[in-house]
Amino acid sequence: MRFFKAFKHALSMVMHSKLRSWLTILGIVIGVAAVIAIVSLGQTLQQTMNTQFDALGGDLLTLRAGASQAYGFGGGRPDGSGSTSSSATTKPIVIDKTDIQVLRGIPDILVINTQISGKADLYYVAKKGSGTVTGVDPATWYRISTTKMSDGRMLGPTDSNVIVIGGRIATSFFDTNLGVNQLITINDRLFRIVGILDDSSNSIYMPINTAYEILDDKTKDVYDTVIIKVRYEDQLDATIETITNKLSIKRHVFGKKADFTISSNKERQAQRAEMTSSLTTFLTAIAAVALLVGAVGIANSMFTSVLEKTKEIGIMKAIGARNTDILAMFLMNAGLIGFIGGGLGVIFGIFLSGFLPALMGDTAGMLTRFGSSGIGTSVNTILLTLGLSIILGMLSGAIPAYKASKLRPVDALRYE
Amino acid sequence: MKQKKGDVILRLKDVWKTYRMGEVDVHALRGITVDIMRGDFIAIIGASGSGKSTMMNLIGCLDIPTKGDVFLNSQNISHLSESDLASLRGKTIGFIFQQYNLIHSMTAFENVLLPLEFLEYDDAEAKKQAKEILTLVGLTDKMHHLPSQLSGGQQQRVSIARSLAGDPDIILADEPTGALDSVTGNEVLTMLHKLWKDKKKTIIMVTHDHNIAKYAHTKIELKDGKVMKISEVEK
Repeated sequence: MRFFKAFKHALSMVMHSKLRSWLTILGIVIGVAAVIAIVSLGQTLQQTMNTQFDALGGDLLTLRAGASQAYGFGGGRPDGSGSTSSSATTKPIVIDKTDIQVLRGIPDILVINTQISGKADLYYVAKKGSGTVTGVDPATWYRISTTKMSDGRMLGPTDSNVIVIGGRIATSFFDTNLGVNQLITINDRLFRIVGILDDSSNSIYMPINTAYEILDDKTKDVYDTVIIKVRYEDQLDATIETITNKLSIKRHVFGKKADFTISSNKERQAQRAEMTSSLTTFLTAIAAVALLVGAVGIANSMFTSVLEKTKEIGIMKAIGARNTDILAMFLMNAGLIGFIGGGLGVIFGIFLSGFLPALMGDTAGMLTRFGSSGIGTSVNTILLTLGLSIILGMLSGAIPAYKASKLRPVDALRYE
Repeated sequence: MKQKKGDVILRLKDVWKTYRMGEVDVHALRGITVDIMRGDFIAIIGASGSGKSTMMNLIGCLDIPTKGDVFLNSQNISHLSESDLASLRGKTIGFIFQQYNLIHSMTAFENVLLPLEFLEYDDAEAKKQAKEILTLVGLTDKMHHLPSQLSGGQQQRVSIARSLAGDPDIILADEPTGALDSVTGNEVLTMLHKLWKDKKKTIIMVTHDHNIAKYAHTKIELKDGKVMKISEVEK
C-alpha cells in the first residue's frame, strides 16, 4: 500500500473513533502545553533577568559590613577571604568614614556612593503607609543609579528635604497618584518629591544627611552599604582583590576573619541564572512526566483500537493487506494522534506561557510574548516539542501496531 | 477419487490440518487430496464440523497445512511467509463471506477500492474499476452509502464487487447466502453463476445446503475431515 493511502486510512481511523482519539489527544495536549509553557516561561525569566542585570550595571560592587550574604562575594571566593561571620566580636562591625577614606585611595574605583536605609512611616492626605527609605550621597548617586527617570530630576548635591520615589509609590501606593513637587510626610517631616523613577519599586531616595535625621538607630558617618563603581569593568576581579586587601589591612582582619562583604552584580547574575535554570529544568521534568502519561495514554488507546479492529484487520489481510500495510496504518494513526495533540498543545502552551507571567504579576508579559522577540525564541521549542510528540506517539503505538500486523487472518476473522 | 483432467488451478495434496485443543490433537482435515480445475464452479458441502471451513482457509491461503501441500497455480504455498501469502491472496483470490465482512466506516465504493489500494493500483484506474464493478452488481446509486445504510442483499453484492475488484482467478464464497432470505439468496447465487458463465472465474463455494450446491458444477462432499465424494451436480 502506498504511503499516502496508509496515511488516509490512519486519518480515517482517528476520525472514526472520535471520543477515544480526542481523549488520547487531550492527554498529549496537556503534556505538550505544560512543556511549552514552562520552557517559554524559563526563557522569559532568563531574558528578563539578563535585561535587569544588564541595567543594574556589571561595573558595580556592593560593600557591606559583617558576614557574607547568601549571594555575597565573600562566600564564593576561591581563597575564602571575606566569608567569615562576625558574631564572636564584641564591637559592632560597621563600615564608616575611615573605610571610605581607604576606598578613596584606590585608583581603580571611579565612584563611591554611601547609603543607609530603614523603614519609615509615610503620610499623604490622611493616608498612612510604611516604606523603605534609602539615604544616598546626592553628589554621586546619579552616577551609579541605572534606573531612568519617568518624571522630574535626580537628587542634587545641594538638596536636603527632597525625595525621589519609585514608580509604584507614585502610582499605586496611595489612593491618588503622586507627582513632582507634591509633598509627603515621612516620619513627621515634610518632603517634596523632585523625581519619579521609571520602575515598579517602592523605594524612596533622599540625601543621606537628611536620612540620618529621620531614621532611628543610625549613626552619622556609618553606612549600611557602599556602592562602588569600578573604573575598568573587565578588571572587576582584580579591583575586588585590591579593595579586599586594603580594607583587610585597615580593619586588621585577614583571610577567613574578614568582617566585610563585597558582592558584584555579575556574580549575583550568574547565581540567579543558575537558580532559574535549575528551576526550569525541574519544572520541565514535571511537565515531561505529564507528556509521558500522555504517551502511555496513546499506547493504551492503540491497544484498545487493535482489539476493536481485530476483525477489520482480518478482513484487510484476507483481501491482500500485508503485515507492513497494517503496521504502517497503526503507526501513522499513533503518530497522527501525537501530531494533533502536539499541535494543539503548542497553541495552548503559547497561550499559557502568555498568561503565566500575567498571573505572576507582570501584566506586560502577555503582550511581550506575542511580540516578535517572544515568539521568535520559542520556535525551536515548538518544533522540538512537535517532533517529540510525533515520535512519542509512534513509539507508544509501536507495540500495539506490531501486534496488529502480526495477527493471523484466520484468527482475526473469527474474532467477534 | 476421479477428477477430470485439465488445467488445475489449485491442488491439495494429502493435506492435514491438526489443532491442539488442550492435551488433545484434533484433526480438522485428514489427508485431503483434491484438484480444482480452472473455470470450475465448485460447491464444498459438509455438515458442521466436517472441516469445510478449515479447507476454505487453506484454499484461500489464509492458513497453511500442518502436513501436506497446497499448490496455487502450481506454486506451493505451504511454506510461504505471511506477507507473501497476503500478496498472493490479493492477486489471486476474492473472498465473499457469510457476514459480508465489509469495513463499516467505509462506503461501498471505498470497500471495493480497498483491495486495489493494497495491490497499489494507480488511483484513477482503481476508481474507474471500482465504479465499473459496482455498476456490474447493480449498485450504481448506492456507491457512497455506508454498509449500515444498505440491506443484507446489497451488502453481499458489495462484498461480491470487492471480491472481483482485483480481477482474481478464484472467487471463494463462504456460505454466501447464510445471512440472507431465500429470494435475496437466490439473487446472489444467480449473480455468482453469471460470473462463472460470463467472466469464466473459478468459483469455490462452501455451504452446508444441498439446494444451494445445485448452482455449482462440481460438488465436493466432506465428512469428518475427509473427502467422501466428488461429483458433477445434476441439473
